[in-house]
Amino acid sequence: MAKYILRRIGFMLLTMLLVSIAIFLISEVAPGDVARHILGQFATPEQVELLRDQMGLDQSVVVRYLDWLVGNDWRLWRLVGKPLRYTRVGQYDSPSWYAVEADGTLKQWRMKKGTGLVEIRISPDGKREEFLFEDWQIAEDGSEIFWGVDTADHVVLWRKGEEAQKVGPASAGRTMTEASGVEYYPLRKGLLRGDPGISLRTNKPVGPTLVRRLRNSFVLAGIAFVIIMPIALLLGILAGLKEGRAVDRTISLFSLITTSVPEFASGVFLILLFAFWLKVLPGAAVFVSDVAPFMQPKLLILPVLTLTLVEVGYVTRMTRASMIEVMNAPYIRTAFLKGLPYWRIVFKHAVRNALMAPITVIMLHVNWLIGGIVVVESVFGYPGLGMYMLDSALFKDINAIEAGAMVMVALAVGTQLVADIIYTFLNPRIRYT
Amino acid sequence: MQQARSAPILKVQDLAIAYETRKGDITAVRNVSFEIRRGETLGIVGESGCGKSTVAFGIVNFLGRNGRITGGRILFQGQDLVGRSEEELRRLRGDRIAMVYQDPMQALNPSLRIGEQLSEVLVVHRGMKRKEAEERCMQMLQRVYMPDPASVMRRYPHQLSGGQQQRVVIAMALLNDPALLIMDEPTTALDVTVEAAVLDLVEELQKDFDTAIMYISHNLGVIARVSDTVGVMYAGELVERAPVVDVFLRPHHPYTQGLMRCVPRLGMDKASSYLYPIKGRVPPPDHLPPGCVFEPRCPYARPACCETRPELRQVADGHWARCLFAEEVAQSVWAPSDEVPARLPAIHAAAADDKPLLVVRDARTYYEVPSRQLMGRKQLVKAVDGVSVEVRRGQTLGIVGESGCGKTTLVKTIVGMEKPTGGEFEFMGVDIAVPVSKRSLEVIRNLQMVFQNPDSTLNPSFSVGQQIAWPLRRFRKVPHNQVRGEVIRLLEMMKLGERYYDRLPRQLSGGEKQRVGIARAIAGLPAMVLCDEPVSALDVSVQAAVLNLLLEIQAELGTTMVFIAHDLSVVRFFCDYIAVMYLGHVVESGPVEAIYAPPYHPYTEALLSAVPFPDPTVEQKSIRLSGSVPSALNPPSGCRFHTRCPRKLGEICERETPPWQDAGNGHRIFCHIPLEELRKVEAVVTVPKKTDN
Amino acid sequence: MTVAADLGKSLDTGKRRWRRVWESVSVIFRSRVAVVGLSIVIFWVLVAIFAPVLAPHSPFAQDSAAINKPPSPTHPLGTDHLGRDILSRLIYGSRTILLLAPISVLCSVALGTLLGLIGGYYGGLVDEVVMRILDAIMAFPTILLYLIIISAIGPSAFNVVLAITFVGAPGIARLVRSLTLDIRVRDFVAAAKLRGDSDWRIMFVEILPNARGPLIIDAMLRVGYAIFAIGTLGFLGLGLPPPTPDWGGMINEARKYIWTNPLGVLWPAIAISSLVVGLNLFADGLREETTRYQ
Ligand SMILES: Nc1ncnc2c1ncn2[C@@H]1O[C@H](COP(=O)(O)OP(=O)(O)OP(=O)(O)O)[C@@H](O)[C@H]1O
Ligand code: SF4
Ligand code: SF4
Ligand SMILES: [Mg+2]
Repeated sequence: MAKYILRRIGFMLLTMLLVSIAIFLISEVAPGDVARHILGQFATPEQVELLRDQMGLDQSVVVRYLDWLVGNDWRLWRLVGKPLRYTRVGQYDSPSWYAVEADGTLKQWRMKKGTGLVEIRISPDGKREEFLFEDWQIAEDGSEIFWGVDTADHVVLWRKGEEAQKVGPASAGRTMTEASGVEYYPLRKGLLRGDPGISLRTNKPVGPTLVRRLRNSFVLAGIAFVIIMPIALLLGILAGLKEGRAVDRTISLFSLITTSVPEFASGVFLILLFAFWLKVLPGAAVFVSDVAPFMQPKLLILPVLTLTLVEVGYVTRMTRASMIEVMNAPYIRTAFLKGLPYWRIVFKHAVRNALMAPITVIMLHVNWLIGGIVVVESVFGYPGLGMYMLDSALFKDINAIEAGAMVMVALAVGTQLVADIIYTFLNPRIRYT
Repeated sequence: MQQARSAPILKVQDLAIAYETRKGDITAVRNVSFEIRRGETLGIVGESGCGKSTVAFGIVNFLGRNGRITGGRILFQGQDLVGRSEEELRRLRGDRIAMVYQDPMQALNPSLRIGEQLSEVLVVHRGMKRKEAEERCMQMLQRVYMPDPASVMRRYPHQLSGGQQQRVVIAMALLNDPALLIMDEPTTALDVTVEAAVLDLVEELQKDFDTAIMYISHNLGVIARVSDTVGVMYAGELVERAPVVDVFLRPHHPYTQGLMRCVPRLGMDKASSYLYPIKGRVPPPDHLPPGCVFEPRCPYARPACCETRPELRQVADGHWARCLFAEEVAQSVWAPSDEVPARLPAIHAAAADDKPLLVVRDARTYYEVPSRQLMGRKQLVKAVDGVSVEVRRGQTLGIVGESGCGKTTLVKTIVGMEKPTGGEFEFMGVDIAVPVSKRSLEVIRNLQMVFQNPDSTLNPSFSVGQQIAWPLRRFRKVPHNQVRGEVIRLLEMMKLGERYYDRLPRQLSGGEKQRVGIARAIAGLPAMVLCDEPVSALDVSVQAAVLNLLLEIQAELGTTMVFIAHDLSVVRFFCDYIAVMYLGHVVESGPVEAIYAPPYHPYTEALLSAVPFPDPTVEQKSIRLSGSVPSALNPPSGCRFHTRCPRKLGEICERETPPWQDAGNGHRIFCHIPLEELRKVEAVVTVPKKTDN
Repeated sequence: MTVAADLGKSLDTGKRRWRRVWESVSVIFRSRVAVVGLSIVIFWVLVAIFAPVLAPHSPFAQDSAAINKPPSPTHPLGTDHLGRDILSRLIYGSRTILLLAPISVLCSVALGTLLGLIGGYYGGLVDEVVMRILDAIMAFPTILLYLIIISAIGPSAFNVVLAITFVGAPGIARLVRSLTLDIRVRDFVAAAKLRGDSDWRIMFVEILPNARGPLIIDAMLRVGYAIFAIGTLGFLGLGLPPPTPDWGGMINEARKYIWTNPLGVLWPAIAISSLVVGLNLFADGLREETTRYQ
């Protein structure tokens, strides 16, 4: 058993690795230039070139993938000659990369227009000072150069005398693009060390957004799950017991139809019915921020209902099929021939065996549920993970896609593992061999 | 039986049961009447589909969604069960009337512990407390000779062997001391040695509990062993009912007589015998003949038989038959019709060719199975472990042994479907220790196989003709335009004929499928055909026909055969030479007569004493093996049989592999017991001298 | 069995083959559900075939005077935000979806069958490798696959087919593999092996024809899923590029105007729902009917 679980976890990690590589490669072969995409149509070629440089797009895909996966500070610190650290200085600052002196002083450098290169020192007690930088090194060709860390998380090669020049206004949400260095390497901590990187679309760290969005989606899916399960299992068992009767035919037809209607269509129907004609519920969820949609429970009703409609049918059908199979099994016949009362047979002998199959199938269905959530969130403008992924994919925001994909794959494969373990515990035939 | 003729426990009168189907109601059982008294066993025998199980389930009115009793009365202890409410019947089931049926593994709930499944019977019917009920169940398990009942109570069904599971089911049935016990093929899924032990148990329990038993089986041998009275069913009717000896020795109905002639009898051997199958097949319940249901197949049929449907009537004291001319039939001396040769041409005399066609020396085939431990290495199942056999041209080698002893694996290795782990394989002087893909077309053509399961032997998607045509084209390069004619010739040889050419397998009966399988195997005119239990899934009357067919093919084409079976009586009739296998080893081999007479290997002796013979007068020694076959993963050391051997000598059997001892005439026994000792053992089976039939 | 056989005696081969086909087709008519489903599907197929005859306007013709208008005699189902006739777009939209869905299912059946047969038949390492890769694809949330593939390679009819093929093939491969695993241990396959038949003959002649029943039903259900998926992609803005009439895309465009012109989303939603429901009713009814009498 332990061997099995370890193997499965290994397989899950392998899957995630493969998926991340695949996504990297797909985005690599995708037509269009990411930097151009970020900057918009009106950016100058110089701007685009600079951004490419700053994003490290000029490096090989292998290097970029490894940087993304395991970070690159352990590689780049050699250029700077000092250890690098990703840390938060003030309470309200966002974390940033610094070079660390032996005494614990953190350093960054910045090209100041008209002044030259400025060294920013932050002593261990939090005092922040700026100095004009003078320790230039002599390069082989005789020019004076310096490798340092800039304020936007790059390792930069500066050359004395080359001043910062603005390359023009940048796209929304982005500070002006500055070109001061000669070479750029974006610093990364790497996914394995907990840093999914910066979103290309919003220019904010992916991590916190992802966590918030994930929580929102969990709220949505969780409520739906709690509603779906009891209803569906009950309907399924009932239909299975009454196979071929009117009850069964009604339930089967109902569940087939509800699962067949795509989420966006049923969402549309529900909005029109409840929000447009009956006017009892808000239609499109107008969430101002993605912080706490569940503060307004009314907004959740329609999305949950849409999700429920599609999923209830599916689970019902699984349960029904399994119940029918079990009720026709020879050991149920034995139970009847033992003279046991009907409900004892159903609950003690049938239901447990009948639920074994659906539980695993339901868990496998998480994949499908995720799909449903993307659509439902899009229909209702709900700020969950699905919307985030959709927006990121449309923008080709590789960091966000990678991080979101990792979460989703972990969820999908993880639930499969859980399902298999549950199955093992429900099924003594596997448990005791 | 010896008891006073008290009122019957169960009296069934004119029972009729119908199933609702798409084609309308189909009457599966008609006019069935019988009675069972306390302490009596009624055996019901008949071929598949004749309504045995329907009667059994009809008694407790558990006929599924679409079945229902359409007529007759079922008097159980004087009260009519027909028309009772579901609740009333429920109270009877499992309490006064208990049932045991085929395939114990399926009959037990896989996810509940044995203890729970047993004790709930008492809890529900007797209102016992859990604790008390479990106590009773343990006693009952002890009663059915279950080793270590306390631990069995805590186990799940899959943790027991087939024989143990059937014991649990029997214990469950007896918990409430039922007045009537219905057993539907309770031992069909079990090995002969296990079957024998279960049958002993049933017999013993019946004496103790004085229960009335209705025992259903298709196996005439089993019926002969367990029954006091026998009912023979055919096409939904009870055609004959009489005390067991009368049914077997003085059958009054032509069908019963036919059945008796279909099974190989003791003392029959290949040279002197021919089985006489009943012509035709059982009519489907919706197309019964208007008169006597047996009329289309009856050798005695007369015009009157087509008009009146005979009643079940008493033809002698306690002997009932459903035939208009029963008395005549019983008197007349039966002679085979001209269609079947009275005797096969003796081919064996000429076949004493010196050079064996197939030589297998020290064959070993191991399977790798993954280990269960976290870091364990792969384990080996030694399915065949050091087997040596030879087959001469034109002869038949029989391989017998219980399931899992490696018979199939040996055959698969010979035909090249499994890779041998070691040993020498020589066929027609060519080394064949290689997989099929490396063999020459000539070797492949000459080595063909007939399979066990009729339902999987043919490809369901292609017609009979197409399936036979392919090997013709592949092996004999028959030109395109002659293929059809050649296929039809083969079909005729199989007694099937041209009209089968375009049929799909699902339109064939089991026996017909098996014949097509044989036709496909011999299409390339192979020198040797290996038959893996070709008849064990067939009904007796069909079995006989297929066996005859194989014999005829052998006579006509001079084909050499290897014949696998678990049934020693079939092998005796069919083979020239026999090898008995146990757990991957051959324990005894020799000419067929030598195997059935002392000296025996102790395992052969046990097998012989376990085989149920279709003759109630036969006397058999009762040698029962304890325990079950050990796992081939971890076979016992020394003599592999030592864990179960009733004649085990002592430590030497556990330590040393037994030597082979030559009993003369190619008869070899692998045992530590000296030959002289073994020779002293008396014959296991003795047939009393008979005058009639 | 015997009745059919006895009747069959008198019929010649050709007639009998025809009968066999009819027998398998007539199964459909035994299930009321399947008949209803089939009727819906046939309705849409006819609409697609006769689109040029049925559509009152061109699906692309814009009428700036009639923007987001409710139904009227000239525009029976109203107009959309560009003044295009919704009915005509619906009618032409059926063409798109009824063409793309079966094509993509055929492609994934071809690919999946090949992989499943190879994995199931050879077993061992080949199987392990094929199945691990397919498992990895299946572990991947379907929608994410669509998102990534389409967003990377751009929305177009070809890419939609490609994406659906890619996403659907592993499921079919698994089905075919499990069927193969079941069939390859049957005796007739053993017979073929010991006849020394080639592997490909065993795979395609002995095994595949016996897997066709479940495969056909699965493919039918998959056409439903494919329509579902094409609709979803269109709705998410990843489907066919505008102005192609595509039901999912129509909903996507019209939903901004849901409060002024609710019918603009309602009609395409009804259209796509009815088609998927019809297909599923048909496939499900068929499955019930074929398994019941096995
Ligand atoms: N593919 C396999 N992998 C592992 N073990 C196997 C395999 N096939 C057979 N075995 C094992 O080999 C042993 C012999 O099997 P085999 O099928 O030859 O027995 P058999 O005598 O033909 O049985 P039966 O009468 O039930 O057909 C058994 O222990 C069986 O479990
Ligand atoms: S009644 Fe006639 S047909 Fe029927 S068994 Fe007797 S002799 Fe044969
Ligand atoms: S060698 Fe020993 S254990 Fe084996 S059969 Fe002979 S007596 Fe029995
Ligand atoms: Mg076998």
